[in-house]
Amino acid sequence: MYICIVMSNSKLYKGSLNTIILKLLNENDKMYGYEITQKVKELTKGELKITEGALYPALHKLEAEGLLDVEVAKVDNRLRKYYKLTENGTKETANKLEELAEYIKTMQALVNPKLA
Amino acid sequence: MKLTQPQIQDLYAFTRKHFVEHYDLQTELVDHLANDIEAMWQDEPKLSFTDARDSAFKKFGIFGFMEAIEQKAKAMNKRYRSYLWKELKKWFEIPQILATIVLFLIFYVSFSSKIAGVLSAVFYGIIAAWTIYKNVRLNRQFIRRRKISNKKWMLEELIFKQAGITSLIVLSQVHHTLVVSDEFSMNIYAIIGLSVVYTILLLLNYISFELIPNKAEELLNETYPEFSL
Repeated sequence: MYICIVMSNSKLYKGSLNTIILKLLNENDKMYGYEITQKVKELTKGELKITEGALYPALHKLEAEGLLDVEVAKVDNRLRKYYKLTENGTKETANKLEELAEYIKTMQALVNPKLA
Repeated sequence: MKLTQPQIQDLYAFTRKHFVEHYDLQTELVDHLANDIEAMWQDEPKLSFTDARDSAFKKFGIFGFMEAIEQKAKAMNKRYRSYLWKELKKWFEIPQILATIVLFLIFYVSFSSKIAGVLSAVFYGIIAAWTIYKNVRLNRQFIRRRKISNKKWMLEELIFKQAGITSLIVLSQVHHTLVVSDEFSMNIYAIIGLSVVYTILLLLNYISFELIPNKAEELLNETYPEFSL
């Protein structure tokens, strides 16, 4: 089953889109848009699919916030824009992951008190 | 199978047709569509280029490229404002702060004088004329640049076409200061307030009409790595 970030039944994932992007860039040095969508699909075995309509606005917002930097290279016969974390971006990734872990822990306590 | 150069050009035209005006965003979307089309061809080599392109576009959802365009515009406006702010802050550091103080004192003394009303109108007139003149000049400069490069960059448009917007907004708000009453000349807080507004307005005009357009190449290269490619 696909869960698309822009679909109404995926509000839970929507708030985590920035964290997902930051985490991937933290592990992969630099990535381009299409690569990010494919990587998420691969890692979640197709469970989570970042749609194009949500990905680019998120990337541009993170870039404007100074968390991402861009690099352009000629690949095949076209230009490719790569994103990578800035110093602030690396710090923010750690914060966001911590927040997410806290959130998961809280939800775990609520949903499944025995495990928490 | 890889896309050919004419197919890449077709994708650029396709993004333009779907309201993506600026080259930086066009380039990013073209690469995305191209990657998706090439991935589809791996599974279905017989799929036509047009069908694959349309199918890749559909994945952007019902709003197509609109969300990406809006967010990019917001992001670029934010970047432009941060350049303005960075330059403005410098006028409150040593030694530029001396010029800022002198400017403020000129306004303060003028607005405290008996002919404050006349001087206020003169200052307003000068700033308004400067704003209109520079807007026209920068617009022409922008058109000339477009003819040379044939590519549209969002930040370039902000630097050359929207430089006077802030100034015009402030001018439209302070036009009532043209009528300076006797009560005003007695109110020290009002004089300080108006002097601060005029000082900031003058600095903002100088930054957006002179400093930033003169640094345009540097800022565009910093923002768009592909600018000089």
